[in-house]
Amino acid sequence: MSGEPDVRSEDLLFDGRVRIEDLVDREGLDELCKSFQTLFGIAVRVYSADGALLADAGSEQELCAFVNTTGEGRKACATVVGAVRARDPGETGDVIQPCFTGAQYRIMAIEYDGRRVGRLIVGPFVAGKSNDPPPTLTTLDPALAGPRSRDLLAKMPHAKTETVTRIAAHLKASLDLILFSGHRAHVTTAVHLASVREGYRQLEEKTARLQEAFDRLKELDRLKSNFLATVSHELRTPLTSIIGYSEMLREGLAGELSPEQREFVATIHGKGEQLLSLIMGLLDLSKLESGTMRMSMRTVRIEAVLGEVVSTLTPTARKKNVTLALDLGRELAELRGDPERLRQVFLNLVENALKFTPAGGTVTLRAKMVETDAPPGGDDDDDGGLVLLAPTRTMLEVRVEDTGIGIPQRERSRVFDAFYQVDSSSTREHGGTGLGLSIVKRLVEAHGGTVRIEDTAPKGTTFVVSLPQAAPHEAEAPRVA
Amino acid sequence: MQINFGGREIAMKLVYYGPALSGKTTNLRALHQLTTEGSRGRLMTLETKDDRTLFFDMLPLSLKAEGDKPNAMTLRIKIFTVPGQVLHASTRRLVLQGADGVAFIADSQISETEHNAASFLDLRRNLTELGVNVKQTPVVIQFNKRDLDRVRSDDEIGALARRGREPVFKASAVSGAGVLETFFGLLHVTWAKLDGEHNLAKMLGIEAGDLLPMAARQLGLKSDVPSMLAACIGGNLTRTPARAT
Repeated sequence: MSGEPDVRSEDLLFDGRVRIEDLVDREGLDELCKSFQTLFGIAVRVYSADGALLADAGSEQELCAFVNTTGEGRKACATVVGAVRARDPGETGDVIQPCFTGAQYRIMAIEYDGRRVGRLIVGPFVAGKSNDPPPTLTTLDPALAGPRSRDLLAKMPHAKTETVTRIAAHLKASLDLILFSGHRAHVTTAVHLASVREGYRQLEEKTARLQEAFDRLKELDRLKSNFLATVSHELRTPLTSIIGYSEMLREGLAGELSPEQREFVATIHGKGEQLLSLIMGLLDLSKLESGTMRMSMRTVRIEAVLGEVVSTLTPTARKKNVTLALDLGRELAELRGDPERLRQVFLNLVENALKFTPAGGTVTLRAKMVETDAPPGGDDDDDGGLVLLAPTRTMLEVRVEDTGIGIPQRERSRVFDAFYQVDSSSTREHGGTGLGLSIVKRLVEAHGGTVRIEDTAPKGTTFVVSLPQAAPHEAEAPRVA
Repeated sequence: MQINFGGREIAMKLVYYGPALSGKTTNLRALHQLTTEGSRGRLMTLETKDDRTLFFDMLPLSLKAEGDKPNAMTLRIKIFTVPGQVLHASTRRLVLQGADGVAFIADSQISETEHNAASFLDLRRNLTELGVNVKQTPVVIQFNKRDLDRVRSDDEIGALARRGREPVFKASAVSGAGVLETFFGLLHVTWAKLDGEHNLAKMLGIEAGDLLPMAARQLGLKSDVPSMLAACIGGNLTRTPARAT
């Protein structure tokens, strides 16, 4: 015996006391005893270890009823019945309790697993063949002395002692089997339950550990975003000086430069700008991720935003020999948004389109109003109940179409991930940080809109940005998201 | 172990542990067959249709001091097997809880060597998790299935057994060979430890050295105890397990 005593399973497996009443169906036990009585004609009763009657098969014998009609008989009968009930089966586990009528009872121990769990009482029956009423009966009361006692005694079940022993042994064997089966089922169920509980406990422990790890990772992620924001900010300050001074050098503010020096300074300046845009992208991303991006929302006309984007990028398009077209639909509604951020969205998309469109190609910006009954996010987000959940609303759709290299189907959902590039070699060929589209997606979502890629590959790529129309009376029409 | 003064009983729990299909249930069946009805109860087994133990098997034995010993207590021994399959880990631990001694049934087949080792480590881990000092737990090891081909050689097992701490027995449980020897080896080491700690012999009204011969008599065995214990091929049968320091 070592360790702390633990009763969790030991009670089940180790030294569990067996009680008949816990293992056996009362009615079934009653039926079993009745069938014995039917078969052998002798009454059978089963008592639990603490003396409760569990099964009783046997009707009152006529002699017993007759005896009970007399005062003395009733008294004597009560004494015998009390004695039978209280009698311990003794060392041998099998004793005889005689009755004054000449009949007798056999009281036997029911044992299970070496322990006494109850008693079996067989009787009354008359051992042997004699039908002569004993003096204990005939002298008890004058009314019992007549021939009726003899007749009724003859009607009592008669059985040899050995026969009763055999019958009782059979009944005990049947009971033992029932008890064993019941006990086995009981223990098995208990162990099964305990196992399940133990398994559950282990699972819970594991879940708690996972939750802890998850919380730690979330915290780390938050720290990462903070770190990114801080570092980006700190990087930007000295970079501004680098760009500023290289610009001054290039403009000759510190004296005339040789063509070679000018070229070097221009490279420093260009790379500085590139680095700055990367840092600005990181800052934007971390702000969008942490939800601290400030948006100054106001009424915006998309025509103005797109016009500005086109005029900004026309020189780039011309340099690449790509046509940049703007196609504005009629009656474009007003939007509610941050014009600066919206400009950033389309600048990014158009820049991207120009980057991947070869010379001679076209990049087209189209804007139109569309009636939509699909929830934002497209078919994938449709969990049903559309008819109830999504009233028809008008969206402003801006499409950025190019005739470039296209994006393979399997890559489409990933191009919006930060730092993701369809083909890492494209970074070297086309430049870019891989941040642009992830910022676009977050900015569009911050405006309550969606961005997706339309299936036009391999003819080119079409990015579709859907933005909700500004409600005519914002307060009266809450937006359903 | 439990001592029930009111019921005049001492209960001891022995557990047969080992990898899946190493023959734990077969050991118990053989033990059931080799002993007579008087002192042993019904074998409780719960198996699936492919003979895999689902929860456990249990064989109860009960030993009474012989002769007229007033107030002598009864020693009830319950022998359990654990389910060997890996997935029944929690049941294994439940059955192992409160074990006074463990017989580790190893499969002699060369291919099973790793499973034996994994199961033994599982036993040690479970004992530790149950707060039991592994070194203090009486353990005997049985190399079962000696009758099969491609088993580890007698020389190999013998050499390893002599170096190890736990008493080692060889067996072929399907034919009953080595089963009683293993059981008596386990009873021997477990009794030595428990009697040393709780003076059980006095409670039973016997001399400490009388338990095993008494058990052999009451279980109706023909073989005598010394020759059964002599079947131990290695390990330390006489030394009681290390005490906690």
